[in-house]
Amino acid sequence: MSVTTAGEPRSRRRRRLSSRGDRATLGLFVGLPTFFHVLLVWLPALATILLSFTFWTGINFSDITWAGVDNYDNIFFSTPAFYDALRNNAIWLGWFFLIATPLGVLLAYQIDREIRGHRFYQSAYYIPVVLSLAVTGIIWNFMLRPDGFVNGLLGRDIDNAVSFFGNYDINIYVIMVMASWRHIGYIMLLYLAGLKAVDPALREAAAIDGATEWETFRKVVLPTMRPVNIIIVVITMIESLRAFDMVYVIYGTSAGLPILGILVFQNIAGEGASMKGAAYAVILFVLSIGPIIAYLRQQFRQDVS
Amino acid sequence: MGDMDRSVLTSQGFRPNRRQFLIGAAGVLGAGAFMSSCGGSSSLSFGARTVDESPTTQLKGLISAYEAASGNTVVYNATESNAFQNNLSQYLQGTPDDCFQWMAGFRMQFFAEQGLLTDISDVWDEIGDQYNDSYKIASTGLDGKQYFVPQSWYPWGLHFRKSMLADLGIDPDGIYDWDDFLGMLDGMKSKGLVGFAAGDKGGWEAMGTFDILNARINGYQYHVDLMAGREQWTDARTREVFTYWEQLVPYMNDNVLDLEWDGAMQLLLQRKAGAMLMGSWFGGNFLEQSQEDYDDLWIIPFPEINPEHARDTIDAPIDGFCVAANGENTDGGKDLIKFAGSKEGMQAMLDTGVPMTSANKNQDTSSYDSFQKQQLAVMDEAKYITQFLDRDTRPDFAGPVVGPAFQQWFRDPSSIDGILESLQEQWDALPPL
Repeated sequence: MSVTTAGEPRSRRRRRLSSRGDRATLGLFVGLPTFFHVLLVWLPALATILLSFTFWTGINFSDITWAGVDNYDNIFFSTPAFYDALRNNAIWLGWFFLIATPLGVLLAYQIDREIRGHRFYQSAYYIPVVLSLAVTGIIWNFMLRPDGFVNGLLGRDIDNAVSFFGNYDINIYVIMVMASWRHIGYIMLLYLAGLKAVDPALREAAAIDGATEWETFRKVVLPTMRPVNIIIVVITMIESLRAFDMVYVIYGTSAGLPILGILVFQNIAGEGASMKGAAYAVILFVLSIGPIIAYLRQQFRQDVS
Repeated sequence: MGDMDRSVLTSQGFRPNRRQFLIGAAGVLGAGAFMSSCGGSSSLSFGARTVDESPTTQLKGLISAYEAASGNTVVYNATESNAFQNNLSQYLQGTPDDCFQWMAGFRMQFFAEQGLLTDISDVWDEIGDQYNDSYKIASTGLDGKQYFVPQSWYPWGLHFRKSMLADLGIDPDGIYDWDDFLGMLDGMKSKGLVGFAAGDKGGWEAMGTFDILNARINGYQYHVDLMAGREQWTDARTREVFTYWEQLVPYMNDNVLDLEWDGAMQLLLQRKAGAMLMGSWFGGNFLEQSQEDYDDLWIIPFPEINPEHARDTIDAPIDGFCVAANGENTDGGKDLIKFAGSKEGMQAMLDTGVPMTSANKNQDTSSYDSFQKQQLAVMDEAKYITQFLDRDTRPDFAGPVVGPAFQQWFRDPSSIDGILESLQEQWDALPPL
């Protein structure tokens, strides 16, 4: 793709030919990243896809044997944890789309309107974003574990501590609150940047025409924010599906809260390594990339028409 | 039966883990950096799979004794145990430390089969007479050569505080069978305490309870056969293990899935629970708290259930050392491992004052305290030694399948039939080894 676009202007518009030096520079700028991208991203991805159809412990190449679809068969028909993980990832996705992301947008909108103390809110909500998810997990673990801060505050000892992580009926929601703590700030920041670029004249015009606040947002602000909206949808989707670090910090590879990212790691790390982990990775890859490609195609098609 | 029958099973398994995996990751990086900066015959490196205080003191004692005895310099690299375990394949294929800490049985055999460990049969020719056969079996790869030198072992037994039993007027030696055991638990419960402290957040802790219940109810052979897939998880005998286990649930703390092994230990340490089934490694943690707490700690074999099997089996995982095949100084590694396995090396570790039960049969046990001597007594009562569920069965089955299944059981003990069916189905779906 990059090659053809680089050549196009030359043939169509007959502008001055780029010098040999320019072309070398261009080739270097396009070629090197492409080379490393293919080497470090696409080759491993392809290797993972191939390996997901084999049995292998991950050490000696001579031990690889062909498995056909056995790994997938195993996952889909013999592994209940897979469906638990799907359910948890689906909750994660739903929560982010319905609760965390809209909250981030709402905050951004309020801060953009410069409500009283907006600078304070802005920094307060932004602070968690500078922490990695792993660190977020460590902090919340300190807060919520049986001998942690919250249970201490409630005056509970470890034998009667509130079960935040061990009660499987609620632990996914505890994790969701933890993840949202960071995600809301992230979305707020992205959206705020977009809002700053919206021409205030548009809003004034809407107000003069008698539009309510909500109508202005829905019919004027939101449509002008389309590029940012696309980014936010994609980011929310990716963040929900690739989730791993925070859960790993709290549960390790035990199945305390099965999600796809953990299942990949659990089946590929250590001496229990098997290519079932690769098969999980492929499933996760398809789940992430499928909807995103479909969504982006639809959006770009709308742009063209 | 004699010593030959103490066939030690295959293995994987873990030592207690702490959460400093970041430190662990830094340790791995540090190890790489150190490796490139040193070399030569008089310098070698040692990889510890712990960053905890007590075992570190112990290992450093060994290393300085070795340096003094041999004149070689040793670079000590430490990694948090979970991180070490998860990265071991990559570590051994890269630039590993020459000698490193690992586990006996299946977990060692797996890496030996892959050609990542150095054959140390010649070391065994020199120090072999200092070990019982069971240890040699546990150190031997599938090809009949030795790849491992044992350091220590710890029995999985019923731990409690002597003072708490005395308060109830119960003599520890009087707890022999299941009824005695339940009687003690009732006593604890009537005082408002947790009877049987349990934690399974890590997913492996409860495996010890399954092991011992299965061995007590169905015997050693059935347990071994089940682990190897020769018996069925759906068998009525396997099912019976859970009827007994369920009897213990009312005596357990409510938050089993919130606590890891150290949480359960805290219950015992803080006198909130009466008893706990665990490996004796945590004696050091009691000692860190105070000498008084350590002196109060006691262990007895898990009670008899089926008189036919009495108390003849025990989980006693063996920890020790291996020499990496890809190390820069394998001869140095072998020299260090020989020292570590010798009486002098063991003594250097014991001299640090950190409780340890040496695997070396020539060890002078007169310096052992009463808790250590009791561990030996518990061990001696057993005819058969198993390693631990996650060292005795396939690693791609134990961690990803059995661990979550037991956690599921804690959530809803009544769903046991479905859980066992699923376990068997997942065993059957495993790829050929």
